Amino acid sequence: MAGGVSAAGIGRDLAPAIPEAPPRRRFLGLQRALPAAGVIAGLLLIAGPLLATLIRSLLVWEGGGARPSLGNFAGVLSDSRFWDAIGNTAICGVGATVLSCLLGFTLAWLVARTDMPGRSWLEVGNLIPFFLSPYVGAISWIYLMAPGSGLLQGFFLRQLGIDLSFVNIYSLGGVIWVLTLFYTPYVYLFVMSPLRQMDAALEDAARVHGASFWYTLRHVSIPLVSPALLSGALVVFITSAGLFDVPLALAQPSGIRTMPTEIFAAVQYPSDFGRAASFGVMVLGVTILLTMAQRRYLARRRFEIVTGKGYRPRVLPLGRAGKAAALSLEAVYIGGAVILPTAALIMVSLSRLWTGRFDLARASLANFEYVLFNFELTQGAVINSLILALVGATVGVILAVLQAYYLNRGDPRRRGLADAFLSLPLGIPGIILGLGFLILAIRTPLYGTLTIVLIAYVARFFPFATRTVSAMFLAINPELEQSARASGASWWQSMRWVLLPLLRPAVTAAWLMLFVIFIRELGATILLYAQGTETISVALVLLSDRSSGYVAALAVVQLILLLLAFAMFRLTRTSITQA
Amino acid sequence: MDGIMDSRAFIRVDQLVKSYGTHRALDGVSFGVGRGHTLALLGPSGCGKTTMLRCIAGLETPDSGTIEIGGQVVFDSERGINLPAEERQLGVVFQSYAVWPHMTVAENVGFPLRVRRVPKAEAAARVTRILEIVGLGHAAAKSATQLSGGQQQRVALARALIHEPRLVLFDEALSNLDAALREQMRMELKVLQDRLAFTAIYVTHDQSEAFGLAERLVVMNAGRVETEGGPRNVFHRPATPFIARFLGLNVIEAKMLADRDGLAEIRLPQGTTLRGVLGEGPAPAPGSRVLACIRKEHVRMGHETGLPPLEAELRASSFLGLTEEYVLDLGGVELRAVQPPMGGAPGDRVALAIRPEECVVLPA
Repeated sequence: MAGGVSAAGIGRDLAPAIPEAPPRRRFLGLQRALPAAGVIAGLLLIAGPLLATLIRSLLVWEGGGARPSLGNFAGVLSDSRFWDAIGNTAICGVGATVLSCLLGFTLAWLVARTDMPGRSWLEVGNLIPFFLSPYVGAISWIYLMAPGSGLLQGFFLRQLGIDLSFVNIYSLGGVIWVLTLFYTPYVYLFVMSPLRQMDAALEDAARVHGASFWYTLRHVSIPLVSPALLSGALVVFITSAGLFDVPLALAQPSGIRTMPTEIFAAVQYPSDFGRAASFGVMVLGVTILLTMAQRRYLARRRFEIVTGKGYRPRVLPLGRAGKAAALSLEAVYIGGAVILPTAALIMVSLSRLWTGRFDLARASLANFEYVLFNFELTQGAVINSLILALVGATVGVILAVLQAYYLNRGDPRRRGLADAFLSLPLGIPGIILGLGFLILAIRTPLYGTLTIVLIAYVARFFPFATRTVSAMFLAINPELEQSARASGASWWQSMRWVLLPLLRPAVTAAWLMLFVIFIRELGATILLYAQGTETISVALVLLSDRSSGYVAALAVVQLILLLLAFAMFRLTRTSITQA
Repeated sequence: MDGIMDSRAFIRVDQLVKSYGTHRALDGVSFGVGRGHTLALLGPSGCGKTTMLRCIAGLETPDSGTIEIGGQVVFDSERGINLPAEERQLGVVFQSYAVWPHMTVAENVGFPLRVRRVPKAEAAARVTRILEIVGLGHAAAKSATQLSGGQQQRVALARALIHEPRLVLFDEALSNLDAALREQMRMELKVLQDRLAFTAIYVTHDQSEAFGLAERLVVMNAGRVETEGGPRNVFHRPATPFIARFLGLNVIEAKMLADRDGLAEIRLPQGTTLRGVLGEGPAPAPGSRVLACIRKEHVRMGHETGLPPLEAELRASSFLGLTEEYVLDLGGVELRAVQPPMGGAPGDRVALAIRPEECVVLPA
């Protein structure tokens, strides 16, 4: 090949008539089989527990045998406790949704469109609650506001002379308050990108044609963001209403029934699986209807508000009073969701005996020492949670990549249906999916193992990862892989050297997200754990009536794990935006 | 140039069909390319030319038909042969360039050698050499995303050539470049092809690109081959009204009067008679409807043409620099002319003339 390419002849006397390739069919190569396997695994993970729940709800045990019947439904529907629970759950869901939307939209708007001081820090700060455990949040708020012994109550009474004893944290109001703190970031995330990327020309056009600032906000900006806001609202409603953690901590102690705690109660001794299953089926029906309504709504209204040109949205100067008000709101939110609960947790965890007052002179690490080194239950819980989170996140991300490949590169005719089915778990409350797996596994060797918990985790949460990875696919031109194939790479090589490296930011983000979710999961675990497979969250529940100090110490351990993941998330996110 | 369809053709596409649902993207396409030759697939967007290219590359699976490259059947629906893209030994330059953002220029270009397990030292030497050829010798270590559009195009080109493919496919390879760069790349491509002698197929909607690069053209329309031939022939003797319109000619409805030794006499709607050459195929019968196709540059304005002048009214003009484009009204028929600038205001009466050999008469 010396002396330049021309002589060597790139192409000139190449390929002395290559012998004809033997006939072969390649209709089922790796390229099709692997992504399809991911989709099928996902469908099975969803269909299994749902069908189990449905079938169980239609069975009644009589004289040692089962027979199909609507008796369970009739029993549930004629029970006033059921209606009580549904009513309370609806109040909690609506209340949390309305407040989260108001707070989330306002915070996102302040960060994206105003000159509020410290925006770049607050932008991140507003997201921290997304990574924290609602159950621990609820416990912390008990430490802060428990009647008579709450830290905050004591502070107000002693330092300011204000008696807050009329505030009862063990109430629907308490549930709504804590739910709002944790679900505000969902709305915030949903509306942030349309607010930020909205083409300023759309708003300028309104101003130029004579609309005032407020008129423009009401008639142009908010309507343009409304699809995102409504999506966020629906997600918050479905997930907050289905959340087991907060009602368990704040509603159950004062005897307030809610949907998740009623399902939990129905499975406890003396258990009535038929009742729990029929309850679950009805909740599922509502959730699926709501999700379908949202899909239809979004399909009809998809605005092209991002023009792709490098516009910077207009930034509104707030003025001195405005800035003070904005910062106060931020202080209330981040204070209420992050700083106060964390401070309370730390104080309780450092106190040998919690009496409602923190005494720095008597602070000790004894609780941590006990929880981490001397107590079998909590030691095992930490290890179990770590195993579940590490393995679960990895399995979930592998499934997600395969499914996202299918949804973006597979047969276009089957994509829509697959997408609709694969996003079902997004709206299914963890406790109901947990119930489904419990019904499936209860008479099998899987019952009481970490494996069944792991399967439930993956089944409930893989769609989050699939969505994240799928969104990244949209940004990757298929020609990037095709040019690898045309250059001589096999499908597997084009995956390994081109597609996976390009997907890496999304894969990392999805992995960390699953890790966070699995570290704190409670709703599904509470039905599936057995002695020896307790997780951190389960141990917190089990210890909650024994010792505040152990609970707080274990919660701090969990908090540290979550914050580590959050820190890594920030690191990788920055690298995404840099790329 | 002849015998392109004979058995010695390097690439043979036969009766290729590809549907997407009810839409037939390719509706029985056949053509051939000789070894070392250059073919352009020309046509408006949606005509199936890119689908055709992707079928040759193995990125799309046709419904039926055969594709043969260098004597090797790479696709045959009946025999169930469908060689995957990586086994077809091609180079492809994509419209988006598809330069991998997570690799350096050298890694991008060296990729085809990497998958072929060429020893590192040899691969490095070949990368250096091909980068010199495309004028990117200095950029080897740069990240591919730091390059300009034109430079990315060169990376894509070098990557398509480095493994000495028997066939290089270009998908609208120049259309993302600005005009000056496009001109330059077109000349460079020609030089490169002479030097490296690869067989090439260009897909383009840009006629000047097709004429400038290719020895043969296949013009496609709605999934079918509209015509095939040398650039000069396709350009000067548009074979169908579709091609005439696609190439930007004036296409005027007229009535056939008589055929005088291959020269047609036709009458325009307002009564003027005109003479023109007949296209391929049987001459239209007297009295039938025909279409007169006249290049804008051939609508000659002024009295010094030596032909009987036609009276027209100037509607509008647009100054283009060396030339000026005029919109003329010839008795209710709109005619466009590109001529040396001569001024004139809307409403002016102008004389114009059309030479018989510059007017192609086709059956309507």
